[in-house]
Amino acid sequence: MQIAEGVQLVTFGILSLLMLGAALGVVLFANIVYSAFLLGGVFISMAGIYILLNADFVSAAQILVYVGAVNVLILFAIMLVNKREDFKPLKNSWIRQGMTVVVCGGLFALLGSVSLVTPWKISTVMPLASSTVPIAKHFFTDFLLPFELASVLLLMSMVGAIILARRDFVPDTVTGITSTQDSLTLPERPRELAGK
Amino acid sequence: MNSGIDLQGTFIQSLSDFGISAELAKVFWMPFPMLLMIIGATVGVLVNVWLERKISAAAQQRIGPEYAGPLGVLQPVADGLKLVFKEDIQPAKSDPILFTMGPVLVVMPVFLSYLIVPFGQNLVITNINTGVFLWIALSSIVPIGLLMAGYSSNNKYSLLGGLRAAAQSISYEIPLALSVLAIVMMSNSLNTIDIVNQQADYGILSWNIWRQPVGFVIFWIAALAECERLPFDLPEAEEELVAGYQTEYSGMKFALFFVGSYVNLVLSALLVAILYLGGWSSPIPIDMLSNLLGVDPSTSWVQVVDASLGISMTLLKAYFLVFIAILTRWTVPRVRIDQLLNLGWKFLLPISLANLLITAALKLAFPTAFGG
Amino acid sequence: MLKFLKQVVDYGKETAQAAKYIGQGLAVTFDHMQRRPITVQYPYEKLIPSERFRGRIHFEFDKCISCEVCVRVCPINLPVVDYEYDKATKKKKLNSYSIDFGVCIFCGNCVEYCPTNCLSMTEEYELATFERHELNFDNVALGRLPTKVTDDPMVTALRTLAYLPKDVMEPHDLPAGSQRAKSN
Repeated sequence: MQIAEGVQLVTFGILSLLMLGAALGVVLFANIVYSAFLLGGVFISMAGIYILLNADFVSAAQILVYVGAVNVLILFAIMLVNKREDFKPLKNSWIRQGMTVVVCGGLFALLGSVSLVTPWKISTVMPLASSTVPIAKHFFTDFLLPFELASVLLLMSMVGAIILARRDFVPDTVTGITSTQDSLTLPERPRELAGK
Repeated sequence: MNSGIDLQGTFIQSLSDFGISAELAKVFWMPFPMLLMIIGATVGVLVNVWLERKISAAAQQRIGPEYAGPLGVLQPVADGLKLVFKEDIQPAKSDPILFTMGPVLVVMPVFLSYLIVPFGQNLVITNINTGVFLWIALSSIVPIGLLMAGYSSNNKYSLLGGLRAAAQSISYEIPLALSVLAIVMMSNSLNTIDIVNQQADYGILSWNIWRQPVGFVIFWIAALAECERLPFDLPEAEEELVAGYQTEYSGMKFALFFVGSYVNLVLSALLVAILYLGGWSSPIPIDMLSNLLGVDPSTSWVQVVDASLGISMTLLKAYFLVFIAILTRWTVPRVRIDQLLNLGWKFLLPISLANLLITAALKLAFPTAFGG
Repeated sequence: MLKFLKQVVDYGKETAQAAKYIGQGLAVTFDHMQRRPITVQYPYEKLIPSERFRGRIHFEFDKCISCEVCVRVCPINLPVVDYEYDKATKKKKLNSYSIDFGVCIFCGNCVEYCPTNCLSMTEEYELATFERHELNFDNVALGRLPTKVTDDPMVTALRTLAYLPKDVMEPHDLPAGSQRAKSN
């Protein structure tokens, strides 16, 4: 299949370029909303690469979970808490930056060595026509424990969210009240009340 | 089940006869169904707009569009032309890139979802195994476009509308997916063609609506909410949000939202027809009819009749559902946002879960009736 | 346990009731679809205004005695009565009279109280203009009589519901000479 292979190669190139560009954009953009939208781009191009690997179910799940749920939630969080604040210069910020460089460098070295060590053999096994049934079989046999653990984790986070959402007691923040009232009043000349 | 007409095979065969290699012939073939489907979807929108205006008028004892063409059938075309020629206004303090990307991201997944809609045994663009799941995944991209449009307009109504639209579509996606899952469980496949074939044995009696009445109702309610049709059109509630995320849009970008919402309605109706109303199969199985008339079902003219009947059956079922949607629009008042979320999370979600569990139990108990 | 079951049953009943009501509503909407449209194709067809229709006000210059009753009974003192006192005849002489229909609410008080009946209501309601000042009618404009809908050759005049024969709801294609239903 000459044409099919060519199309695959070109698609792989385009998808990788898109993914790398979008990922760089996520990191480098100053506007956090752009970063969040580009994150969706990264996930979608990743789904495309899954399709190239004959993993159609995984790619659809990638779009559904990461683009449809995770990314939308991130966007929600950003848009509901869209507070513009100027950066304050921190003291000793070089320590943080140095730490970041060390951690990122370590991660890069680790991943680089992994990618150098891995043989990257192209599998000769014929891809399955449908990957849905084997995935389900794996989930319920040899990967049962991680699968159930993941669902327990999700259940825990759901219960936590419900508890947070219907918290009955209101924490009495006496100190916070005056500041919120200040921020809610409109900038106008203070009036004298009639009773005074 | 006979295999029906294989247009692709015939096309590739005839090109191969001219000495073109089989895979090149397949490359030549590929654009045809896609173009046909895009044109079909767009024409479907025009028909839908006309139906919406005419049926709305009839429900309110008005006449509706009358002068553009016979019975006003050219009115949607005129509307479309008007939108094409309208000035494309870009608000001064909006975000130009996101403002343009928003409508595109809303429309694209909807058109892409037509990949999996079958109109016959071989009348589908791609016969992939993840069929319905792909549709659910693609429709989950839409809220990102809505959020983009709402955010980039730099308008509080737009932002509120976008947030509402996103909240609505992610909360109704869950009951939608669960009711689809019950169907998938019965047909043992995510593939739309398998789902239709599973309902094709006894004509109208074997349609999924009889085995999944609750799932059908949940799916239809959730689909209406996904399309932002009237009982659930909060994101563009005129009285409170002007036009929601569409407030700042005009011209072709607005037209994209408009087309997107109507294509989505037709798509949802088509999928209800496929999942619950037996897709392209007619109420009385065509094999039975041809046996009754004493005609061999594999003769060519029976095949042609079968295929065209399949297409018209699918469209007929889909447009019947569109009609129901329009009728619902003029019957049911708009719900409040808290009622909407209550309905989604406290009513549809538990019921669809229970439906799924009961379906599983019935499948174990009666494997013959519920797809063992 | 029993209480919980009762709650579930009540909830189920409420749901069934809601579904029933939505079904009834759909039936009503569906029923409306087969009724005949009541549309009046406006520029080509017009309803004949009833005899007590309160349209644009007509003013007869020669009858006016400049008493200014219309100004006093008007909720916003709208009519402008410009007169001088003629010492020779010891009578008020009207120079001009105007009403601004952009402000008028067509309450008809002036018509009601005019002692000489020089004000009257017409059946003209098409008052759209390009500028709001054009709605300020002077005594010449106020003196014009509107064209009757029944006399206009471009227009099909339609009767309103109260002027139709008994048990007829449809103003189109009435037989000639049909009388309105008698009021008992």
